[in-house]
Amino acid sequence: MPRFTILALAILALPARADDIQTVLIGGSRASQLGVADSANAGSVSQQQLDQRVNYRPGELLEAMPGLIVSQHSGEGKANQFYLRGFNLDHGTDLRTTVDDMPVNQRSHAHGQGWTDLNFLIPELAARLDYQKGPYSAANGDFASAGAASVVVANRLTRGVASAGVGQNGYRRALLADSPEVSTPWGDGSLLYALELMHNDGPFTRGDDYRKANGVLRYSQGYANNGFHITAMAYHATWNATDQIPLRAVQDGRLGRYDNIDPSDGGGARRYSLSGAWARTGADSYSRVSAYLIANQLDLYSNFTYYLDDPLHGDQFAQPDRRVTSGLNASHSWHQHLDGDRSSVTTAGLQLQNDNIHNGLYHTEARQVLEITRRDHIVESSAAAYLQNAIRWSDSLRTTAGVRADAYRFRVASDLAANSGNARDHLLSPSTSAVLGPWAATEVYLNAGTGFHSNDARGAVITVDPKTGAQAGRVTPLVRSRALELGVRSEWLPGLQSSLSLYRLDFDSELVYLGDAGATEAGRPSRRYGVEFSNYYKPARWLTLDLDLAYARARYRGPLPEGDPAGDHIPGAVQGTGQLAVTVDAGGPWSGALRLRYFGPRPLDEDNTVRSSASLTLNGRLAYKFGKSLTLELEAFNLANRRASAIDYYYTSRLKGESAAVDDIHFHPIESRSLRATVVKTF
Amino acid sequence: MSPRSRLALRLKTAIALLLCSAAAAAHNFHMGMADISYNPNTGGTEVVHTYTAHDVEALLGNLYQRQFDLSDADDQAVLKRYLEKRFYLTAEGRRLPLQLVGMQANADTLLIYQELPGTALPPDTALYNGMLTDFLPQQINTVNVGSGKQVRTLTFDAAHAEQRLR
Repeated sequence: MPRFTILALAILALPARADDIQTVLIGGSRASQLGVADSANAGSVSQQQLDQRVNYRPGELLEAMPGLIVSQHSGEGKANQFYLRGFNLDHGTDLRTTVDDMPVNQRSHAHGQGWTDLNFLIPELAARLDYQKGPYSAANGDFASAGAASVVVANRLTRGVASAGVGQNGYRRALLADSPEVSTPWGDGSLLYALELMHNDGPFTRGDDYRKANGVLRYSQGYANNGFHITAMAYHATWNATDQIPLRAVQDGRLGRYDNIDPSDGGGARRYSLSGAWARTGADSYSRVSAYLIANQLDLYSNFTYYLDDPLHGDQFAQPDRRVTSGLNASHSWHQHLDGDRSSVTTAGLQLQNDNIHNGLYHTEARQVLEITRRDHIVESSAAAYLQNAIRWSDSLRTTAGVRADAYRFRVASDLAANSGNARDHLLSPSTSAVLGPWAATEVYLNAGTGFHSNDARGAVITVDPKTGAQAGRVTPLVRSRALELGVRSEWLPGLQSSLSLYRLDFDSELVYLGDAGATEAGRPSRRYGVEFSNYYKPARWLTLDLDLAYARARYRGPLPEGDPAGDHIPGAVQGTGQLAVTVDAGGPWSGALRLRYFGPRPLDEDNTVRSSASLTLNGRLAYKFGKSLTLELEAFNLANRRASAIDYYYTSRLKGESAAVDDIHFHPIESRSLRATVVKTF
Repeated sequence: MSPRSRLALRLKTAIALLLCSAAAAAHNFHMGMADISYNPNTGGTEVVHTYTAHDVEALLGNLYQRQFDLSDADDQAVLKRYLEKRFYLTAEGRRLPLQLVGMQANADTLLIYQELPGTALPPDTALYNGMLTDFLPQQINTVNVGSGKQVRTLTFDAAHAEQRLR
């Protein structure tokens, strides 16, 4: 080889500097987070790792985030239940979920603040999931106190995919997706398209008859860090719901485990969105602008207390919600070399969001409106600006400091004039982190941050309870959270990535879900302590082991409201969770995974006298590859066919024929053992 | 210029480049290399590419928004599609059938081996080389054509993507 070549190779062998802005930006997609992440609890899950997970429903994709449990309490079309860091996040409060910069949490929602419905997400299109826990990033605002999960939808698929699946309990699914290269007058790009059709009944006596149609169309040009995309998404689903049933009726034989009480419960949902993003990377700077327009429509009929309030017609209620959400996010980062080895990245950003909402609460019978409890038109607007600076002082010290300013405006026009009004609030949220190391492949993280969640606009302007006519107290529009965290991340053993976090999270008001009313209520201040231990071990190329353990202690804090005998336990707040997963893929035709999920017991009332039991479920997946492009996958849910609850609530209800109201545990069962087979062809 | 002084000049240029990259902001210095030479034993023309693994991973990562493993066969197939679009030889208006032989990923570098079986380069061969130049505007690709004392060196960048080899 000519000597010139040898010298040139020597030049190329110089290690690329870690502060190169090109590589720092996609650093989140590297498996190792050493030198990249700002906290021990943050991480990124790649598409391949997401593929190996067994998901009964798309929302479960988020369970790739260690410590997060995703469940469902009625009808598949509803937003999932989320549990994280000692929170019963119900339908998504305090876990900020975004899909490509589009917010998924719906604020001032008819059914629950922060309603997160991920049924429009096609898992095969998720390029990766980036997650972080705790409010330590100035870029995340509302609902991000427990954590933030960001799903990145691919601009391109490496291969097209067509799949068809059938399974027990009426499961059927078809998917077609590809991203051909196209040439347009404006340049060469990629046109991603996907169509998904799904049906599922579940194990319930009255099948869910969940029908879903999902479509995505995206045109993209260039690179994720230097290019743009325009995307259209459409989602439509209808379903029947088997809502939670009282334990007493199952125990004395009046009801079977999968029976329902009101056969007309259920609903329908639609989501249409148009979004786009543009990014530009220069030698020392990075700019990104994204905008979105989302139309969401939900019709939901639920009956949680059966014949308690209305012994004649029943207690079914409708929570319709129609909204148009529009927003703009813009950020600019610039990168500077300081003297010596030091460098700094400064990011300034702007986030604007507007929601135009029509929602309400009606009393219904068999989905026919009997009476309107309330009907509202809400316009909720928010603007945020943030500044974050990260400095790399040396190879063993990085610090981050950020501040975020949020301003909200609520305008509510209610059918009851006394409940119409305007409210405004603003909040300043600083945060800071320090990362020490790595030494011996170990980093230590110190994080302190503040965050918040917004409350339902209707609660911020209410004066009269629309059901009872009594005076109603208002809630503060924005509720502050404060968090401290100490974490360690280590890769001291080859193939093992471990992280341990200890945290404390305070909320000025805990959002609690009222199982009987089907609404969230702004509750008392709270404090939780917790520990999380996550491990990802790849001892050989063909074997991966995941072990995640989390424990949290959540309590209300501060003085009790006068005359209130309640205790300080937070109903539904999860204590211990665990996940153990084994994935085997030797590169040959066979591959498989087994996942054991432990969902610990939870107090169901404030005195901790009623508790739900723990559940342990086992899911599995086995796949066989016929040649390069055809795979047969078998998935099994609840392999051990355990009879456990997906969710438990403790409240008062009355069944038809009962002479008095009864306080009882109401539960929704997890699905019985079910198998699904899918044929996947890539092209 | 005599062969000796030509080699001396190349050495000096290489040393200067080496010093340049060490002193200046190394992260702005992106280089790729391709050696094209005729192999008399096989009768074919061989192309050996060398790129910074980091840069290639960043390119694929920003195309597909996920991490890539350059030692994985499926991921290499994805890079092959990019390679065939951004590096090709043409003669008499037609593309020459350049075939991928293999890839080898080390910690810092990626080597790509291609072959034009059973033929030497026709006299009017032109090369289109846009490897990484659409992702990194500062990318410079050096191409050495020939071997031994008959080496001709060409420099490709975003503005000069297509050049005749002889």
